[in-house]
Amino acid sequence: MRGKKMSIRVLVLVLGLAFAVGSAWAQETIKVGVVGPRTGTAAATGKAFEEGIKLATDYVNAKGGVLGKKLEIVFEDTAGAPDKAASGFERLVTRDKVVMVLGESHSSSALAEIEVAERFKVPFIVVEAWADPITAKNYKHVFRAGPSNSGVVNETIAKWVVHEKFKKAFIVAENTDWGLGIAELTKAALTKAGVQFDFLVTERQSQDHYTELSKIKAYDPDVVLAYVYGTGLHYFVAQAGEVKLMPKAVVLDGAGPPSLWPDYWKNVGDAGDLECFVSSMHEKVELTPLATEFREAYVKAFGGPPTDYKSRSIYDSILIAADAINRAGSTDSDKLVDALEKTNLLVTRGTVKFGTEKGGPGYHQWDPPMLVVQWQKRQQVVLYPPEAATGKLMR
Amino acid sequence: MTDIRFYLILFAAAGLFSLLPLGLGDYHLHVMIVSLYYLMMASSWNLLAGYTGQVSFAHAAFAGIGAYTSGILAVKFGVNPWAGVIIGTAAASLLGLGVGVLCLRMGGIYLSLTTLGFSEILRIVITNEYDITRGTMGLQVPGLVEEYSKAAYFYIMLGAAMITLIVLYKLIYSNKGLCFRAVQNDERAAASLGVDVVKVRVLAFTVSSALAGLAGGLYGHYLHLITPEIPSLDQQFLVLSMTVIGGMGSFLGPVIGAFSLEILSEYIRAYGEYHVLVFGLIALVVARFAPNGLMGLAASRLPGGPAPAVTVPSTGKS
Repeated sequence: MRGKKMSIRVLVLVLGLAFAVGSAWAQETIKVGVVGPRTGTAAATGKAFEEGIKLATDYVNAKGGVLGKKLEIVFEDTAGAPDKAASGFERLVTRDKVVMVLGESHSSSALAEIEVAERFKVPFIVVEAWADPITAKNYKHVFRAGPSNSGVVNETIAKWVVHEKFKKAFIVAENTDWGLGIAELTKAALTKAGVQFDFLVTERQSQDHYTELSKIKAYDPDVVLAYVYGTGLHYFVAQAGEVKLMPKAVVLDGAGPPSLWPDYWKNVGDAGDLECFVSSMHEKVELTPLATEFREAYVKAFGGPPTDYKSRSIYDSILIAADAINRAGSTDSDKLVDALEKTNLLVTRGTVKFGTEKGGPGYHQWDPPMLVVQWQKRQQVVLYPPEAATGKLMR
Repeated sequence: MTDIRFYLILFAAAGLFSLLPLGLGDYHLHVMIVSLYYLMMASSWNLLAGYTGQVSFAHAAFAGIGAYTSGILAVKFGVNPWAGVIIGTAAASLLGLGVGVLCLRMGGIYLSLTTLGFSEILRIVITNEYDITRGTMGLQVPGLVEEYSKAAYFYIMLGAAMITLIVLYKLIYSNKGLCFRAVQNDERAAASLGVDVVKVRVLAFTVSSALAGLAGGLYGHYLHLITPEIPSLDQQFLVLSMTVIGGMGSFLGPVIGAFSLEILSEYIRAYGEYHVLVFGLIALVVARFAPNGLMGLAASRLPGGPAPAVTVPSTGKS
């Protein structure tokens, strides 16, 4: 009797599985890959990407999907490590057969991935990896719909330093392609602007910044430009508070998201207040109707306003990809590249148009506008650019 | 096993393997290429741990030396990657000889600790000397072939794996191999019969390091990217698991271990870092129920099947 019951259960299970597999076959999708850190010190970026992916796929599929099929995103973990990023990218292309890849949040990983993209001729839209060489290599299949180091430094950070009339700056950069690259560009921009500065490099995964902080304190700067990503930034700010670097100096988180992660306040405590950071998102500075739509959808889906702006960055890139696939009318790589080059699409951060002039980092590049925001009594106040400012710098 | 039987089996297996690119796509070929890399790593580590009883934790570090030597030569000095791989192999064997001479008199747990330290020092140097190595950013290196093709890399790795197995076979089933096992079973007895224990150990260490350097050099150029992950302890323990699970001290054990664990790891990759936990659990289960690994299990189940050369050696001899 018991054996018979078991057989029926097995039969039902097998039929159920067969049905599930059958319906999966019947419902064809077009796959787009996403790469980003879901583990490691920047795992919070992976979480922000997941949120953006959910909202964007719902949005695209509600509007008819791509080429009459549903859009499906396959998200591969890179752990923030170039070797895992490159092999993950390759897996998306060779195993999952994605037609395009989006994402990334680490420049060193992106620099490994663009080689794979070019080798397999798969269009790749970099979202939040800022190093200039990513687009400066002028690869046919590589685009960036997000900040570049030169854009962020020359259009936002250096201008803000001048705007606030800081006289002495200290640049501290992690030993990554993003950190070293953005530090070099900042040095050049500050030299041009006549701002005195000093510079040092720190280890990306370091949890102890006291040695660096004692050197910085001895220099007595007005502003510290901290190019440290991941939870390393939390250690840096908390320890800067301990050595009383503030309030004489203002600390700017030159990446942004770590200052917005859920564990920021838990990790840095009161030292986090009056810290500044760059961001492409602020609820009072919504440049397009889609930005408002995104925020409303986010609140509905996740029960609160978006924090990490990278959820919106990946959202935009999925919209750009879907638009390009639909305009190309095909998933052919050359046609997709051609369609991407002709992109003229309003997303949450403005109208996307990729540069097509070869010879520099502007090729296949679209820079969204960036803001400098300060935490004031745990509220975000926009300081720069002046036309978007919601308050003044506090020390 | 007679020489003829060994070569027959090896070339028959290689012949069958060489047909794989006809039927497999890029993704599956990639899994095969990585498996062949691990086959080279696990088999050469087995020469040390399985045949002479020296548990070294620097095997992945020697692969890293091969990879970084070849990679830096190619990137900074424009050296041809093939020449780079040969120089990398030589560098790994020289360093292997150096480390061997320095610490093989220690033996047992002291050797393990020293090699662990060596491995960690190497990682710190690579990470911090980012001007030369690019540290955790990864060093992008040219490939071994002009036109990128998975099939070409598959044949290169297959060839290198065959060379590794032939070198190991020649060594293990020679008089020297007899000395290896004599030293492993009872060092003092071997010494009393005229075996130069330290020389035997240094030889095994040098050959094993050279083979790791060769594997690492080829693997780095296949990936086009060398990072401190190649010489990491994670990789070391993966190679160790492959050897132990396959069957330490048996010629075929590491081969079986490398393929089964690499293929398994592709299946369980979806569970992120938990796949390391799964490996650990499998290693524990194998150690408990099949102390001689999968090969030992096969030997006990199949009468007349391949038997491991020895049981799992203790590492505490001095």
